[in-house]
Amino acid sequence: MSHLEKVTDTTAGWMDERLGAAGYVRKSLNKVFPDHWSFMLGEIALYSFIILLLTGTYLSFFYTPSLTEVVYDGSYIPLKGVTMSQAYESTLFISFDVRGGLIMRQIHHWAALLFLAAIVVHLLRVFFTGAFRKPRELNWVIGVLLLILGLLEGFAGYSLPDDLLSGTGARIFHGIILSVPVIGSWATFLIYGGEYPGTEFLDRLYALHIFVVPLAILGLITFHMLMIWYQKHTQFAGPGRTEDNVVGSRFFPAYAAKAGGFFFLVFAVLAALGGLAQINPIWMYGPYNASQVTAGSQPDWYIGFLDGSLRLMPNWELSALGYTVPFNVLLPTVIMPGVIFVAMMLYPWIEARRTGDRAYHNLLDRPRDVPVRTGIGAMSVAFYVILVIAGGNDVIASVFQVNVNTMTIAGRIALIVVPPLVYVITKRWCLALQHNDEELLHHGIESGTIRRLPSGEFVEETVPLPLVYQLSLGVAEPEPQDHHSPAPVGTGFEKKPALERAPDKDGFFRPRRSASNGSANGSSNGKANGKRPEAELPQLEKSGKDKPPS
Amino acid sequence: MSNPPSDADRPLADQLSSRPPDEASGPGDTRGSSVDQDEFQNTDSRAQLQAEGRGEAQLDSSKTPEPAPDYSHLPPSDRDWNIAERKVAGLFFLAVLGVLGFLVTFFAVEQEFGQPGNVYFTPLLGIFMTMALGGVGAGTVLWAKLLMVDEEAVQERHPFGSDPDERAATAKALRQGIEDTGLPRRKLLRRSLMLGAGSLALLPLPFLGFLGRFQHKERVLATTSWREGVRLIRQNGTPVKLGDLQIGGVESVFPDVEHGTLKADSPALLIRMRPEDLQLPAEQQEWAYQGHVVYSSICTHLGCPVKLYEQQTHNLLCPCHQSIFKASTGATVIFGPAARALPQLAISVDDEGYFVAGGDFAESIGPSYWERG
Repeated sequence: MSHLEKVTDTTAGWMDERLGAAGYVRKSLNKVFPDHWSFMLGEIALYSFIILLLTGTYLSFFYTPSLTEVVYDGSYIPLKGVTMSQAYESTLFISFDVRGGLIMRQIHHWAALLFLAAIVVHLLRVFFTGAFRKPRELNWVIGVLLLILGLLEGFAGYSLPDDLLSGTGARIFHGIILSVPVIGSWATFLIYGGEYPGTEFLDRLYALHIFVVPLAILGLITFHMLMIWYQKHTQFAGPGRTEDNVVGSRFFPAYAAKAGGFFFLVFAVLAALGGLAQINPIWMYGPYNASQVTAGSQPDWYIGFLDGSLRLMPNWELSALGYTVPFNVLLPTVIMPGVIFVAMMLYPWIEARRTGDRAYHNLLDRPRDVPVRTGIGAMSVAFYVILVIAGGNDVIASVFQVNVNTMTIAGRIALIVVPPLVYVITKRWCLALQHNDEELLHHGIESGTIRRLPSGEFVEETVPLPLVYQLSLGVAEPEPQDHHSPAPVGTGFEKKPALERAPDKDGFFRPRRSASNGSANGSSNGKANGKRPEAELPQLEKSGKDKPPS
Repeated sequence: MSNPPSDADRPLADQLSSRPPDEASGPGDTRGSSVDQDEFQNTDSRAQLQAEGRGEAQLDSSKTPEPAPDYSHLPPSDRDWNIAERKVAGLFFLAVLGVLGFLVTFFAVEQEFGQPGNVYFTPLLGIFMTMALGGVGAGTVLWAKLLMVDEEAVQERHPFGSDPDERAATAKALRQGIEDTGLPRRKLLRRSLMLGAGSLALLPLPFLGFLGRFQHKERVLATTSWREGVRLIRQNGTPVKLGDLQIGGVESVFPDVEHGTLKADSPALLIRMRPEDLQLPAEQQEWAYQGHVVYSSICTHLGCPVKLYEQQTHNLLCPCHQSIFKASTGATVIFGPAARALPQLAISVDDEGYFVAGGDFAESIGPSYWERG
């Protein structure tokens, strides 16, 4: 005790005398982080990035970014005597002659796949819970930028080994740049140093992959985390949780221990994948050769949506006045992702404009409470999934014995028909779930006990929804319930001020259910639910609006 | 957590739950203990919340009796406490075993290709790394969950906005600073600054220009290594002779020039079919030779090599994006995203019976671009 006291006193004193940091450090150690499993998704992305830096640094000691031709004389016998680029040779050297080089390469590749997967799932969590709303719009934009940079970084790394698979990807990339009107051919000559394939492409890609892009990612991640630290993390509604507080664990020691332990767990999973699950066996593909390609060539999963959009695109090309615009390439790989990423970045402001909601939001939405946003999200996911499936249509066609042309045509139709359908279904589903919540709030849970009234009528008794669940539904205060059982117990929490409710407009944002939705109202909602959920939206909105903010 | 030695004989959970209430919780708390009493008093937000009438809930809560901190996740007795500690320690020991296994594998197992240990080397490294990292990771998480006091704490948020006076003062300082520079009043200064700073944007252009050799860009894009009289050779460098191919046969061919097989724009595909099956456009009929026809194998969509040939249908499939070309009718597109037919190479046979090109392709090969026309 006394020894520990001495150590902590000295540490705090030493820091404070030099940095004046005692106050800041104390506040930081006590900083509260809310707990929810979905808040770990961003952590996974962060930890994958750290692992990428560690393994990537090791790989950079052995890799040579050069297209200079050499004859292979390493320990992998099947390729002995084959002419290949130095880049491919050095990647073989890492895989077969550097001790532990193969596991480093495989962990690096798996970590890249996980990095992007975690970013995408984290982005979905942030979108569907409305965590991007004021004051966190900037962090949303940074997140989208990180996704774009992650895609670039992943593609650059994937292209470095100069094997047959990645070389094919690099050639497709060349065609995509070439398709841009006016500057296309200039840009390719600039990137490749001259006519494709040139001799400089890999050197330039390598500089981007190990320096420029990681540095940008690192900077943006730092800013991302500083903003989380400063603005404090969002939280879901629940007992004692309001727009004005954070309920959770202190940073030190419990949260720090869990987060630190989680880093090692992520690393352990990647080590298991890197050691046991073979990925990108470049020695099986052989060196890149412009005249060869393997059937069933697939990019890494995160580029799959662009490959899919290329496959589904009809062969439109415009030739006029002596110039050509290849829309069959430009539209699916330049315009489509460009529009999507810009729309994603602007989304927080688009939604705020539609709803007129300029309030601060620290409590997260349940997806069902905002049917339009959730519908838009589900629609986008459907669009994306169809593109990814289309990116593997040749493999699916050969596995399931379907005509590949049929797959392509089906994909084209699905891309137009399915997303709007998903939007409508999701929106109605959300409304139905809301009605279910209303039922639970106003009538409680079915108890299974049937009571016969003196009049001969049979009624089922209901049990009130436990208070903790009521609060998790986002209600500001416990509901007066229409039920036959005693009132809930255990209200050990003080009544919090009502949540800040956003003004409602066009059914974009539905307020959380409020106390003014009387039981009669609630029950009629429940009955109409199956028939015309859309038709009664205005009625619900009205009842929501009638409630004055307390 | 540290405790006075005198308490050491009591179970830790008891010691924790019997802590004096002011140590465990503060006024802002609603459930467990507050983050820090001092912090609440130090923050501006508290005063501001009160001014807005929103701080009352916080103040009220200090009058209500505090619920006892919930330590139910901690081990109930000394014995359970020791068991939990052993579980965590076991995982940390597992990590040590993992590291030892990793070191032994790294230095003792043969990893060279062809050696018997080669197959096991990387998987063993993976297993031991997983043990080492997973042991530390799982041990730490379990330690936090079983043995650390992890009560639910409540912390106020600091409102971001400053008061209107502060904002106005900031805007004023900004305005004053800009006015002090003289820019709003001095037109010449403003314009010359814009011109001077703008002209700096031209500085990187020569550097960018140096990255690519743009000379004869259009011609380079429009031509390949095929010339009149150049022989068609295979990947291994041998020339292709008339009669080498059966009907229905295909051969990847390259121009017989220096590094001809490495040129990215020149790979082509020689196909032999029955002469009556060939239904080429009128101007291309001359370019075939006795049922032999040569197309650029660089896809007009995005440049993948198109080489999957189906004898019965004469379909050529690009494996990258599934464009399908009809080899019998001049490699016209019959399905998929490609917009143009594969360019056809004119061929004939020289005196020794070897195939030779009749010249370069009549149009640019490969993906379309702006200046292609």
